Amino acid sequence: MAARAAPAGRRGALRRPLLTERAQEALTAYAFLAPFLFGLVVFFAYAFVRTVYFSFTRYDLFHPPQWVGLDNYLAIFQEPRFLTALANSLTFAAVVTTAQTVFALMLALVLNQKLKGITFFRAAYYMPSVTSSIVITLIFIWLFQRTGVMNYLLTLAATYWQMLLAFLALTALVQAALVIAERRRHLPASVLEPSLLVVAMMVAAAATAGLAAAGVVRAFPRQEPVIITWLNTRRRFPDWGAPIPLEAIMMLNTWTTAPTFMLLYLAGLQDIPRELYEAASVDGATPWQQFRHITVPQLRHVSFLVVTLGLIGTLQMFDQVAIIGDQAPLESVITLAYYVYNNVFPGGALPRIGAASAGAVILAVLTLVVVLIQRKVVER
Amino acid sequence: MPSPDAAALARRRWARAGAVYLLLLAFSLLFIGPFLFAVLSSLKDNPTEWPPRLDPPQLEPRNWAAAYRLGKLGGGSGWFGAFAPGAVVPFEVTYRVTPEAAAQGITTPDVRVPRRVPGAGAGAVRLGPFASDFAEVSPPEVASRLVHTDGSVVVTWRFTVRHTGDETVDRLPLDVLVPRGYEFVGATLSPNRVERLGRVQSWNSITPGVIPYVLYNYTRVFRENYSRTTGKNLFLTWIGNSLWIAVVKVLTTLAFASLAGYALARLRFPGRQAVFLVMLFSMMVPGQVTFISNYLVLRDGIFGLSRLWGMPTLLNSFTGLILSGLVGASAVFIMKQFFESLPRELDEAARIDGASPLVTFYRVVLPLARPALGALTILTFQGVWNEFFWPLVVLTSPQDKFTLPVGLLMFRRTYGVAFDWGPLLAGAVVSALPIVVLFVVFQRYFVEGISFSGLKG
Repeated sequence: MAARAAPAGRRGALRRPLLTERAQEALTAYAFLAPFLFGLVVFFAYAFVRTVYFSFTRYDLFHPPQWVGLDNYLAIFQEPRFLTALANSLTFAAVVTTAQTVFALMLALVLNQKLKGITFFRAAYYMPSVTSSIVITLIFIWLFQRTGVMNYLLTLAATYWQMLLAFLALTALVQAALVIAERRRHLPASVLEPSLLVVAMMVAAAATAGLAAAGVVRAFPRQEPVIITWLNTRRRFPDWGAPIPLEAIMMLNTWTTAPTFMLLYLAGLQDIPRELYEAASVDGATPWQQFRHITVPQLRHVSFLVVTLGLIGTLQMFDQVAIIGDQAPLESVITLAYYVYNNVFPGGALPRIGAASAGAVILAVLTLVVVLIQRKVVER
Repeated sequence: MPSPDAAALARRRWARAGAVYLLLLAFSLLFIGPFLFAVLSSLKDNPTEWPPRLDPPQLEPRNWAAAYRLGKLGGGSGWFGAFAPGAVVPFEVTYRVTPEAAAQGITTPDVRVPRRVPGAGAGAVRLGPFASDFAEVSPPEVASRLVHTDGSVVVTWRFTVRHTGDETVDRLPLDVLVPRGYEFVGATLSPNRVERLGRVQSWNSITPGVIPYVLYNYTRVFRENYSRTTGKNLFLTWIGNSLWIAVVKVLTTLAFASLAGYALARLRFPGRQAVFLVMLFSMMVPGQVTFISNYLVLRDGIFGLSRLWGMPTLLNSFTGLILSGLVGASAVFIMKQFFESLPRELDEAARIDGASPLVTFYRVVLPLARPALGALTILTFQGVWNEFFWPLVVLTSPQDKFTLPVGLLMFRRTYGVAFDWGPLLAGAVVSALPIVVLFVVFQRYFVEGISFSGLKG
């Protein structure tokens, strides 16, 4: 602010009269801002105030609103559908934010390499982020059909689980042997040394093929495929967990948002000074220790941003629920945002604008709480 | 200190690079695999077949050649087939008859041109001339016959389908029914469906032409959906609507975001801080919070103002959709950040020389903003093209007012009910195509935009 005041003062000394120039500048500014302000005032500020007002009224779009005080808030907290929506939204936000943050960091660590063709991989990873939610959700509903790809992969896993398990166990064994051998020769080798891992996997694949030929491990060809009803079900997995359709949407959302956040992490990783890592390796820190004590603390600010943006984004999840529509029971997928929409356009019944607005206000408050917490944490 | 030999280290570096590439490839497969498989499956007759295969007959060059040849024989162009008056279409089918069935004598297959509507959804409603009204199938003749040592017989039958009427139809469906114990081996063109435990081989059209054969679901998307009120081709209309709205919104966003961004970044006026705060606030609050009032505002024509140009309501109109989203807060935010990154001296100098803010903006600042405006164009286009919630609320009827995402939701309802996934996937692929192309060409802008404005739902 102080820096801006100084040139203004200088100019004021040069040109007179000062007041009219100021007024002119302000007028120009308002003229420049007019179209934006029109939208901001009418379609945001006014709308927001009106939603708060509606939340204290009984209103069905056809009769004038009636003031009912806090009734709507008291009522919706006794309404099973709202409570389901609230629980679904909170679970969804918590799980997806965690998953996408971890996944994004993992991807960023992998992509943070100076390799040829890295731009191709980055492009491939963004593809889900730039495509529209309707396209992605349609493809996902298709993958989750009864005879869809998800169930096919599960069937494959159920058929070949012995071989898969043998392969993984053998890989771990061979890798351990190789790492120990390297260290005996005083060569630096981390537990997951990629060059050794390639060898280990090849040996394990050959050994598994041998075991299969000898009949030690075998496939279990199934008469019936593994059919999991992913969408049209009220079941939960595990029994105390989220409804299965909601879990399917969680997978979908993690998949589409992780690349976006990976980008933020990549930028953060590139800002970490090299010297920190060099000093750490001189002191003999293992890669894991370096990750734990350098990378994670240095990325603290990015992580706060990622978590906040993640929570804001996941709390307003709407598109996927609307698109899945009658493919899944409403209780299994309804979120706060969809609760609001569904009460305004209930399809056949009278709109319940009061309840919808109360739900909307709660959604807004949740979002603001997240933002305020982030502000507080970042300031500290 | 251990001193590993250089060759071993170099070897290890190579192996490590290889391993990293493998990992990167595995992740790419995770992220674009579903898209690629969806594109592949959108060519299939049944995208939810079990087990899912990677080699649909639509990808076999042999069938492309046959589809072209048969399309021409049917009176079409080869690319787009038809069944026209005077056409005579020869066709062959080959079956392997098991020894047990062969012992009872070999039966000639029953060949029919069924009266069939194409698939479910709006296409099933369309009435028109049917090929079955004009087609005449000649009695199948044995073209070749091979007896194997195990007693099974491989027989090829040949027949022709002749057009006897005077009206052209776009397809010539065919069913071939055989007794039990007859295994299908091959035909001039691979069949689209096998029914009744392999006893019926069924073709959508035996005179398809290359495009309706390979891109069958895509042609269905375009051919089956017509508006019941105006008769317009729905899918084309939706593409046009989305394109039109996107272009207009890109223009308004470019103009108004740069103006507003400049004012917020450079001009002093009372209430500047307040505007900025409300703007930030509006970027955080979900659209579902404000849409109730916005819906009512549009219903009443923005406080009755729209009556001035003769529209009592702005619902179901592109005007309403565009007016309610002239410029997004995030676009203004991007431009404000950009203008603040420009050196202050540039416009300061112009203004000391006596240029008005408008002239300074137009002559000095705007030309410098070209890269930012480029990124904003791409991002806005992508955002508007993909937008789902607000168009869903504003555009409810008639169907030819929909944008592409809302239209696809309608597809989900009509085709999804019948589990007819072909046109659904085809529609999704078509609607994703412009963004994918933009993304491949302007990748850098997308990346900048994502890091600038945060996220997507």
